[in-house]
Amino acid sequence: MKRSSQIGLAAVGVILVATVWSMTSDDKEENLVYNSLSDCRAAGQLTAQQCETAFAEATAARLKDAPKFQSQSACETQYGASGCSSASIGGAQYFIPALAGFMLARGLSGAQAQAQPLMPPTAATCPPGSTLPECQQARSSSSGSSGGSGYYGGSSRSRAYSTTSGRSITAAFSSGSRGGSASTTSTSSRGGFGSIARSFSSHSSS
Amino acid sequence: MRRVALSPRPDWTEQVERLGFAFHTIDGETYWDESAAFAFTLEEIERDIEGPTEALEQLCFAFIEKALDSEETLTRLAIPAEHWDYVRESWQRGDRNLYGRLDLAYDGHGPAKLLEYNADTPTALFESSVVQWDWLEQAMARGAIPKGSDQFNSLHERLIAAFGALREPSPYRLHLTCVQDSPEDKGTVDYLADCAVQAGLDARFTYIEELGLLTDGRFCDGANQPIETLFKLYPWEWMFRESYGSALAGSRCQFIEPPWKAVLSNKGLLACLWEMEPGHPNLLPAFFEGDPRCATLSARHVRKPLYSREGANVTLLERGRVLDSDDGPYGAEGHVLQDAATNLFSSEGNYAVLGSWLVASQACGLCLREDASPITKNTSRFLPHYIEP
Repeated sequence: MKRSSQIGLAAVGVILVATVWSMTSDDKEENLVYNSLSDCRAAGQLTAQQCETAFAEATAARLKDAPKFQSQSACETQYGASGCSSASIGGAQYFIPALAGFMLARGLSGAQAQAQPLMPPTAATCPPGSTLPECQQARSSSSGSSGGSGYYGGSSRSRAYSTTSGRSITAAFSSGSRGGSASTTSTSSRGGFGSIARSFSSHSSS
Repeated sequence: MRRVALSPRPDWTEQVERLGFAFHTIDGETYWDESAAFAFTLEEIERDIEGPTEALEQLCFAFIEKALDSEETLTRLAIPAEHWDYVRESWQRGDRNLYGRLDLAYDGHGPAKLLEYNADTPTALFESSVVQWDWLEQAMARGAIPKGSDQFNSLHERLIAAFGALREPSPYRLHLTCVQDSPEDKGTVDYLADCAVQAGLDARFTYIEELGLLTDGRFCDGANQPIETLFKLYPWEWMFRESYGSALAGSRCQFIEPPWKAVLSNKGLLACLWEMEPGHPNLLPAFFEGDPRCATLSARHVRKPLYSREGANVTLLERGRVLDSDDGPYGAEGHVLQDAATNLFSSEGNYAVLGSWLVASQACGLCLREDASPITKNTSRFLPHYIEP
C-alpha cells in the first residue's frame, strides 16, 4: 500500500486554537476556545458572523445556566476576587460568575454544538494560593466585567475555566501568548524577522 | 494517467471542514476541486514519479557538495556572502531536513520533467496528506472509484516519524512559526505542529513577527522562551536579508528546513543541475539569463526569477512573444530561462502540474494542481488522485 494506514485523529484539531481536556480524565476533546468576541474574530477560524452568533449564544446561556448568588461575596468565594458580576434576571438582581470565554465543540460528527459560556475556575479547582500557573493567571487577571479579555495575553499557555455544569477544564492555547517573562535571560530586541513579507504583502510559501 | 470526471460529494464542504480544512475556497474561487480526479497506474507512480523524485534528490545533494565549495555558484544563486559559512556548516554538520516538493511536468508518457523544487517552504501539505486521503476512503466507500484503489500518500506517517528523528535526543522542544495574516500558511504550520505532537514533541507556535533575541544570542518566542529548534515556514533568502540575519550564526538554533536548503530553493538550481547533468531525462534545458547558451533553448521557453513563489513573475515566451505571465514582486536577484515542458498534462483547456513530496528525502506523496493557464499559480485548484487497482 502506498498510503498511510491511518490518519491520527489529532489531525482533526489542526486548525483549532485550543485543545481542551477534562481535568479528571485523559480524554481529550477538540474545541475552539476564545476569551472574547474580538479574539474570535482575530483568530480567523470562524467568520465574524459565526463569532457573533457563538458569543451571543454563550452570553445568553451564561445568564440562564450560571450559578446565581444573592451576594457578591458568596459568588467570589467560589469564583475568586473580581470573578463575578451582577446581573438582572427575571427582574431580580443576582451575582453570577463573569464570562471568561466561550467554547465551541467541534466533534468528529461535524455537528457544531451551541457555544458554551466559560467562567473563571472555581475554588475547588484553583484554591486560594494555588501555584498552578493557570490558576494564578486566571485569578490575577479576572476582569470582573463581561469582557473577560484579561484571561488572554499572559505568559501562561494554558487557562483554567469552569463550565455552567461545574466541570473544570483547561485550554491550552497554541498561539497568541505575549508578554510576561518566565526566562532568566532578558530579551534584547523583538521583531527582527518578517519585514520582507510585510513589504511584499505576498506569499512566503509555495 | 487519466483525468476522471466525478460528481463531488454533495456535502463536500462539510466533509473537508470536518477535517479542519479551512481554505478549500480562496477569494470565492474553488481551491479544493473534487469534480475530477487523476487516476494513475502503480507502474506510473513507481517508475515515473517515485523513482525520479528520489534520483533528483540525490542529484541535488551532489550539487550542494559542489556548490558549497564554489564562490561563483553561491554568488550566482544570490546567497549573501556573509551567510556562506553558516550554510556550509549546516551541511557539514548533517542538519536533517523535514520535507520538500518537486513540481513535475508529466502526462503519462515519457519521463517526468523537473519544473522547480520547493525545497524550503512548500505548502499544500495538509490537503495532500489528510484531505486527499479522506477523499479516497470516502470515494471507495461510495463506489465513485474502484474498491482496492490506493494513493501515493504516506505523508502523515512519514512526517510523524521524521519529526521524531530530526534532533537527538528526542523528544525535544520544537517551535513552529509563520507570518501573520496568512490562513494557508497558518493551516500548514498547525498541521505540522499536530504531527510533531503525535511524535511526542513539545510543540509551540509563535508568529515570526513575535520572535525576539535574548541577550545571550538565542532567539525567543513571544513569551520569551528560548528557541532551540525552529520550524519556519518563511524563506531563507528573506531571513538572510532581514535584521536578525546577522544573529542566525550565533543563535545555536537548529532550523527546519536547515540553512543548506537555501541552495536548492532557488530557481538557479535548474540551470546548475542542467550544467552538471546535461541531457538528464528528468531535467529540462535551463540557463541563467545572459548566458550565451540561452540561444540554444527552444523557441518556447519560460523565464523565472531566482526567488519566486506561487508562479509570481513567471513568464512563458514563444519566440520572444509573451504567452502567459503572472505579476509579482520578485525578480531583483536575476532570472533563469528554462525550456517549456512539452509533456504538461492538459485536458479540456486545463493544465495540471504534479507535486511530488519528499519527507526526510524519501518520496512519499503526490498532489496535483490544475489551472486554466500553463503557469501554476496560488489560485490553481487542488485535485485528488488515486492509483487504480
